[in-house]
Amino acid sequence: MATDRSRRRSWTFGVAVVATLVILYLTTGVSSGLRGGANIVITPFSWAVNTIARPIGHMLAGTVNYSDVVAQNEKLRYQLGKAEERANEGWSYARQLRELTTELNVPFVGSLPTVAAQITTLSPTNFSATVGISKGRDAGVMVGMPVVANGGLVGRVIATTANGATVRLITDTASSVGVTFKSGKTTLIVSGRGLNNGLGATAVPLGTSIAPGTKLSTDGLNGALYPAGLPVASVKTIILTPGAATYNLTVQPTANLRHLSYLDVVIWEPAA
Amino acid sequence: MRRVLVPVTLVTLFIVAIQLSVFSGLRFAGVVIMIVWLWPLAMGLAGLTTLALWCALVAGVFFDTHATTPFGLTAVVALLLAYGASRLGREGVGDLDSAAWWVTPLLAAAAGFVAPLIYVGASFFTFNFSLWRNSLFATMVVNAVAFFVLARPMARLARWLGNLGGSRR
Repeated sequence: MATDRSRRRSWTFGVAVVATLVILYLTTGVSSGLRGGANIVITPFSWAVNTIARPIGHMLAGTVNYSDVVAQNEKLRYQLGKAEERANEGWSYARQLRELTTELNVPFVGSLPTVAAQITTLSPTNFSATVGISKGRDAGVMVGMPVVANGGLVGRVIATTANGATVRLITDTASSVGVTFKSGKTTLIVSGRGLNNGLGATAVPLGTSIAPGTKLSTDGLNGALYPAGLPVASVKTIILTPGAATYNLTVQPTANLRHLSYLDVVIWEPAA
Repeated sequence: MRRVLVPVTLVTLFIVAIQLSVFSGLRFAGVVIMIVWLWPLAMGLAGLTTLALWCALVAGVFFDTHATTPFGLTAVVALLLAYGASRLGREGVGDLDSAAWWVTPLLAAAAGFVAPLIYVGASFFTFNFSLWRNSLFATMVVNAVAFFVLARPMARLARWLGNLGGSRR
């Protein structure tokens, strides 16, 4: 008897779990409402935890990493100088590119306004590559806008609040970007492989002339999610399978996604 | 039971806050340690079935509202872990006093190892077929190790909270 009751209880529990999962998944509208409510509840607890944990963390990090910080600062100063040099050199090329893209009737990112934002939160889970940023609807940030930093495409805004937004990084497994290279005649789809695994492209036709180190940038085709010309990644390795009509690529993001602090939201929306 | 529900809920919310504020930034081999799964598990191992399920639901739902993954998945995994652990806890397996010292950590490590796998498996029900690409094995290993280390302090906290209510189960 007891076993029957126990079995019944287990079944009920199992059915309840599956039903909860399905209902919660189907009612995504409810989930977005819950998100706001949950934030209000958790905020005081997070504040308390941060008040205690942050100074301890900073103290430990400062003690252990001080020499690293000094070295990193020097390196950054050097890189900034180099970047300024390159920016000066690239000015004339940028003007040429702007003229050409205007003639071809594709938007050029250099002419698009941006909103600078700070990263406020990292993805709390292992199963999505997202970051929270400090600017939202009030600053003109809308869902779908591309986000750039560290010299390349970082991701795309997927949710906004009045004072914040969530950015899905290009390394997220749900992310894919249409890219092109060199002459711009060939387009590829670069997909995320998870935060720690970089990017990849599959089913590249054998005739495509591509080599490790080739720079890939957004193609900006009709209906594309990103404007043309945003640097995305460079080819790392080419994986050939004997007998296959296509090959695969592993791709390294241009922007260093591991050390993001500030980023720019490009005020550009995909065509409807 | 009712008397202990409020402190348990408050502690659970603190656990979620610690998860979001500390553990999300503190990655080991790029992996986040999911203490929102360990907490209901510890409750379950303490034999507190109802409280374990309640903790799992609260921790899971509040965590899921901060993640961009399918809503409810973390809660479902937490519920499964809590339920499984409470079955063992009711039999006295994993009890901090009567069992060998390594039993609780080992059970927690096993749970930490399979939890990400259950998560990915459950994601198929939400038509999300790409979560397995997120360094799944590393996530399993890191969580197993972390659960092994953190299991006893968590179980002690769970048992202490359970004792506030005066009764088990």
